[in-house]
Amino acid sequence: MYKRAAEFTIFTVLAFLAFTTVTSVLAVTYTIADPTGDWGYPSLYGMYPRGSGYVRMSLIFDTLVWKDKGGIIPALAESWVYMPEKNAYVFNLREDVTWHDGKRFTAADVVFTLNYIKQHPWEWVDSNIIKEAEEIDEYVVEIYLSKPYAPFLTNVAGTLPVIPKHVWEGVEKPDQFVSEEALIGTGPYRLSDYNKAQGTYLYEAYEDYYLGKPEVDRIKFVKVSEEIAPTALKNGEVNASSVPPEILDDLRSKGLEIAEEPPTWAAKLIINHKKEPLSSKEFRSALAYAIDREKIVRIAKRGHAVPGSMGLIPPSNRSWHNPNVRKYAHDVARAKGIIDDMGYTTDKDGYYHKDDKRLEFELLAGSVFREEFSRIGELIKSDLEEVGVKINLRGLESKVADARIKNWNFDLAVGGHGGLGGDPVALNRNITGGGFNSARYFQNEELVTLLKKQLQEMDIKKRKRIVYRIQDICAQELPAITLYHPMWYWAHDGTVDIYYTDGGLALGIPIPINKLSFLEYHKQR
Amino acid sequence: MKVNIINYAIAFFIILLLSFLLPRLMPGDPLTAIYGEETLLSMTQELKSQLADSFDLDKPLWKQFFIYLYNLARGDIGYSYYHNAPVLRVVISYLPWTLLLMGTALILSTILGVITGIESGWRRGKTFDKALLVGMMSLSGFPSFFIGITFLLTFSVTLGILPLQGAKTAYSGLSGFPLLLDVLKHLILPLASLTLVFISGSFLLTRNTMVTILGEPFILTAKAKGLRDRQVRYKHAGKNCMLPVVTQTGIGFGTRLITGALFVEVVFSYPGMGTLTYNSLLMRDYPVLQGSLLIITIFVLGINLAVDLLYRKLDPRVGNAR
Repeated sequence: MYKRAAEFTIFTVLAFLAFTTVTSVLAVTYTIADPTGDWGYPSLYGMYPRGSGYVRMSLIFDTLVWKDKGGIIPALAESWVYMPEKNAYVFNLREDVTWHDGKRFTAADVVFTLNYIKQHPWEWVDSNIIKEAEEIDEYVVEIYLSKPYAPFLTNVAGTLPVIPKHVWEGVEKPDQFVSEEALIGTGPYRLSDYNKAQGTYLYEAYEDYYLGKPEVDRIKFVKVSEEIAPTALKNGEVNASSVPPEILDDLRSKGLEIAEEPPTWAAKLIINHKKEPLSSKEFRSALAYAIDREKIVRIAKRGHAVPGSMGLIPPSNRSWHNPNVRKYAHDVARAKGIIDDMGYTTDKDGYYHKDDKRLEFELLAGSVFREEFSRIGELIKSDLEEVGVKINLRGLESKVADARIKNWNFDLAVGGHGGLGGDPVALNRNITGGGFNSARYFQNEELVTLLKKQLQEMDIKKRKRIVYRIQDICAQELPAITLYHPMWYWAHDGTVDIYYTDGGLALGIPIPINKLSFLEYHKQR
Repeated sequence: MKVNIINYAIAFFIILLLSFLLPRLMPGDPLTAIYGEETLLSMTQELKSQLADSFDLDKPLWKQFFIYLYNLARGDIGYSYYHNAPVLRVVISYLPWTLLLMGTALILSTILGVITGIESGWRRGKTFDKALLVGMMSLSGFPSFFIGITFLLTFSVTLGILPLQGAKTAYSGLSGFPLLLDVLKHLILPLASLTLVFISGSFLLTRNTMVTILGEPFILTAKAKGLRDRQVRYKHAGKNCMLPVVTQTGIGFGTRLITGALFVEVVFSYPGMGTLTYNSLLMRDYPVLQGSLLIITIFVLGINLAVDLLYRKLDPRVGNAR
């Protein structure tokens, strides 16, 4: 009997030992699903100018500072200080960093990178912000700004990857520099394969990473369509993927974990404020009262969104959101009152008229390519027609609609943009910026002045006051009507702690793939 | 034959012009399409003008066309704005998968369609014929993506016996025979969906031709000579059915390469020309659109030429015609 027990114990111990050695020898691979697949060669100039391209590049390259769950943390720079009298930042660099080819990382590389993007513009960082960079000693850099620039730390130091001087010196056409050398960085991973057609990437851990070798040995990005991703997750074929909100409960019941993104995106009713009567801010406020945004969230988004803040910055951006802006709760009577006061009268068809002209607008709202926008278009149409404003819905392919908005060839349109989770420089981009996503609204002088001023205010408390005031004015002027801020989700198996970086990755990318996560791995399954 | 080649050259030039012009006549420009949506980017004025300049977007259309022709003559089919790579390299990474999928689907559906068509036509009016006819007619009514999704749900999601997506397992470390097996496994479902959709075309055509031919005097002669059924069915009648089927397959190749492949490729995330063309359209990536249209044009014209030549074999009268 005792012999049996002894035999059993020895057997169990042996089996356990064998099991642990096998699992420790087996390399840990983490697979991430992506519906698009190909995001370009993950070098600075080779990646496609999208968040997903940046994520793939960020595994290979490091920035001076980085962000985690709690905010800004040191990366290539150990410490830094802003000197207002010189309008310059001083960065003290880590001394134990090596490039993937074994050479040492020094201040010369930082200076070189900053000069390089001045000659070869890089989409993510406006190099005009930087006046010049100076190497004080081997591990100290001073960066002089052309003007005080408040978002510098996150949007320049935390976004611009440092490239090795000894490799990039003499590279004249960076967009065509796609050899293996273009991928020498200081990051925790190196690319071992990229397949454009299959949309796959394979990364191997960099042994000599300055924070220690990552515990996840290999990271795979594979192309999996949105519809299939949940099944692939449940089968264990992939470890993490973005997922639609409808299946969250099902995935939770299968033991998967959900990472929820604090909303950073805004769906908007874009208004052609150069056209009568949309040019009147009273009239725009009538539209705001007429549209039931709570209903849009409930019906079109099935509750997976928060009603839009008219100050544009969503409530989830706790550092900058102004909770006291005008709310425009759904109020049909008030909307009608405003339109009545403007001299419109209701005709027998139920719609407002003035000078024999019916009050009607064309609303560009999605198409088969953007079904979500079509649903929202329908809801807005029914709300506005209830008040007495006739709406003609028009579905256009998104690029066609974008072009019409850009050229002011529209009345109303449903659109949207992201970038609202990070620095409030987003307000400048989307109110006075030049792109079609921007309201391009210059009618209120105070607003225009404050937007310029907030970028140069280096004192965070003072800046916050300005940003609050901007949101107040924005909510009164209504350059556009913010409809809702959608919530997005990722599901994962919990072996790696997948989280949404505070304020978004780098300058605000809402993707929960932060390289720091892969330094730790929890053997769960 | 001489006239023939001039015809092909004219057709080629017209297609070249259209494939250059059509994408550019669409509203929306590539810079906005590629850089406009991502609000995080800092598009400075310098960067914009540099991009426009490097893509020749600031030049008038006719100049752009001549630059295109000049580069084409040197064998350069363009540089992709979005992929940031030569178009040829982009297309070449996608083309083999589409050729594999479409080629096998086309061959398989044609062979199966012809055989079932001959058998069905031979048994015209019988239960076998009626059942097949009804079956094929209803199949042809289904869009390819619908069949694809049904297959995907049944075999991959519910039963879990076939892969969910893609053309091969990423980084499986396979090579040789296991790799071939892996590729075949991924090919089965998209291939089956496409074959089922294509099959009805050649089936109906063969069956109809068969019915007509069976009424011809030479069939009566063949039967009267006492030849076996099978010989009459395939050698005498069957061979004569091939003419329209070959034409149809040849013509169909080009359109199916794009339209047929597109939906099935999207359903199965299969990396092919359909997916590439669709994405390039959304990104207003003119060079890739032109490039893929150009390559498809070359394929279609080449196949038409091959069909022309094959005709002479199948029907010697064509060669002698003036």
